[in-house]
Amino acid sequence: MSESIARPEGRPKITVTGLRKSFGSSEVLKGIDAVVSEGEVVCVIGPSGSGKSTFLRCLNKLEDITAGHVLVDGFDLADPKVDINEVRRHIGMVFQHFNLFPHMTVAENIMLAPMELKKVSKAEARDQALALLEKVGLREKADARPASLSGGQKQRVAIARALAMNPGIMLFDEATSALDPEMVGEVLQVIKDLARTGMTMVLVTHEMGFAREVADRVIFMADGVVCEEGTPEDVFGNPRQPRLREFLSKVL
Amino acid sequence: MVAAWLAFAALLLGATGAQAQETDNSGVAGKTFVIGTDTTFAPFEFRDSSGELTGIDMDLIRAIAESQGFEVEIRSLGFNAALQALSSNQVDGVIAGMSITDERRQIYDFSEPYFESGVQMAVDQDDTTITGYQDLAGKTVVAKTGSEGEAYAKSIADQYGFTVNSLDQSATMYEAVKSGNAVAVFDDYPVLAYGVAQNNGLKTVTEKVPGGSYGFAVNKGQNPELLAAFNTGLAQLKASGEYQRILDKYLAAPQSAAPSTFLDLLTSSFPALMKGLGNTLLVTGISFAVAMVLGLVFGFFRVSTSKILRGIATVFVAVFRGTPLLVWAFFFYFGIPQLTGQPISIWVAGVLTLALNSGAYITEIVRGGIQSVDPGQLEAARSLGLGYGKSMQRVVVPQAFKIMTPSLINQLIIMLKDSSLLLAIGFAELLYQGQQIYAGNFRITETLFIVAVIYFVAIMALTWLANTADRRFNK
Repeated sequence: MSESIARPEGRPKITVTGLRKSFGSSEVLKGIDAVVSEGEVVCVIGPSGSGKSTFLRCLNKLEDITAGHVLVDGFDLADPKVDINEVRRHIGMVFQHFNLFPHMTVAENIMLAPMELKKVSKAEARDQALALLEKVGLREKADARPASLSGGQKQRVAIARALAMNPGIMLFDEATSALDPEMVGEVLQVIKDLARTGMTMVLVTHEMGFAREVADRVIFMADGVVCEEGTPEDVFGNPRQPRLREFLSKVL
Repeated sequence: MVAAWLAFAALLLGATGAQAQETDNSGVAGKTFVIGTDTTFAPFEFRDSSGELTGIDMDLIRAIAESQGFEVEIRSLGFNAALQALSSNQVDGVIAGMSITDERRQIYDFSEPYFESGVQMAVDQDDTTITGYQDLAGKTVVAKTGSEGEAYAKSIADQYGFTVNSLDQSATMYEAVKSGNAVAVFDDYPVLAYGVAQNNGLKTVTEKVPGGSYGFAVNKGQNPELLAAFNTGLAQLKASGEYQRILDKYLAAPQSAAPSTFLDLLTSSFPALMKGLGNTLLVTGISFAVAMVLGLVFGFFRVSTSKILRGIATVFVAVFRGTPLLVWAFFFYFGIPQLTGQPISIWVAGVLTLALNSGAYITEIVRGGIQSVDPGQLEAARSLGLGYGKSMQRVVVPQAFKIMTPSLINQLIIMLKDSSLLLAIGFAELLYQGQQIYAGNFRITETLFIVAVIYFVAIMALTWLANTADRRFNK
């Protein structure tokens, strides 16, 4: 199947240059350059502590950028004059621990952003929320509280919530790491469906099989730098860096 | 009719006519003066069973006011509080069975003496071991702070080898003797005589030591016309025999209090206590609302990203959590007016005291509540494009409130109980009203029991209400 996935030739959606990030005196990202093109699905893999989650969180400025530039749709997130809230509307994010709002129903979780930011009516927001829930197969849970859902259901709701603003980019931060094994499949299926729609996606994941299957490109990070990148076939089938080989020997 | 004609004539004569009047009341007529007094100095000032302030001082000042044509508004503050209120011009004059001393003359102007007092010693009525000063060796006696009795007791304490413990109220002093915490009380003879006649459980065992004279005081250099009017009125009362009638009413033939039942006490004290409860609830309610605003503002400062705001909130909490409530009550009510020259309402002082103290605690409750919400919640809201304020408002704060509610209910209850401290500045809350009642009837234990039950019921009701609201809004 590897030949069938052509490297997308779309224009750059995210351009990262010389990205550095320090927490206090410890530097977590040590100068990263990366480009994600429109419609591309990029998986970021690497050992824990390699900085892959921090990298992802810099893409919507959940982490302040210490140095370098992150251009999203042409807006430089490192520029303090850029309205980050405006940029974030176009970037959906899915977290490892779901982070659903427990004091709202499932539908209200999804309706919050459209109602607050786009000022759509409650009825319209609910219709849209139900449609999104339909997509992730949870239409009947619209009026349930998040606490009553299983982990897999929670993560599917979180994906629906992240899609509510019709983002052009989706970020997934270890979206299946907190799930029981039997629930991983249902969430990966939703993500796969999304990938097929042509959504630009960056995923930090530990699911190597999944990465190999959905990714257009795989980035291997180690010690705060991009150690190796390429097509899944190259990265998994023909690793060049010893660091990557060592990593793959442990996880595969 | 005659008065009307005279007024008309005075109007026609104008300034000349006014000057022609030789009375001293020209400066006071028609005015209202605020007079501070003690709460508990029977028979000079105390509350009768109907809750009205009565006593020798009260009868005198009212009779003088009437004869000199001015109005008085009596504030029953407690002795020390009344003097502090006078110093800070919160009141125009003080009549509180106060001895004229050289120290006091330095800061107040006194009227002619209106009563010649003296100190006596009393012991428990069943005590047969103490018959005079010589039996006091190694024992503890009580006297009233700043009183003639205290001065006298201290002057002979070394000679007879006893210790003097100073208390603020007559009723508490008597209770200290009856409970055995002290063996004797030194107090002004009219006070002791009246108390004994009211079955306070004591007996006098020494002769009266001739002591100082009581005077009416104004702040140094202030209200000279009031002082003059007092002196004129006093002279007139003495001349007319009214003065002696007032003294006799309380001293010559003290009414022997008919023993009354607990139920009598309950029914007679209930209206005054309910008024106190009303003030307690009102001051707590207002203060809590203000404290919530302070707590929310400073609580958000505490979790803000700005170092300056965090610093401001940290200082606020440190100052008001690190200092006693009572200090602030005194500071606001007595200190601020002396600094600014502007009197301050006792409600403002009380609310400031309670609200700032509770505000500091609520700041910490708010900070703790917000910080206990998973940071992922804020990140999720921010990642959707919601601003910091909106994210806090819609996502973090609703969850924080749910966590904070039990602590806030707790804080409300603490505040309701702490409001009783405001009695120290003369705020007429529940415990203050209780003190007023037992100051007149000496039934301390029973009155305090009733007060405690009222507090308990009020707090239980409040707790139930708050928990019901919590369940309804924080499902």
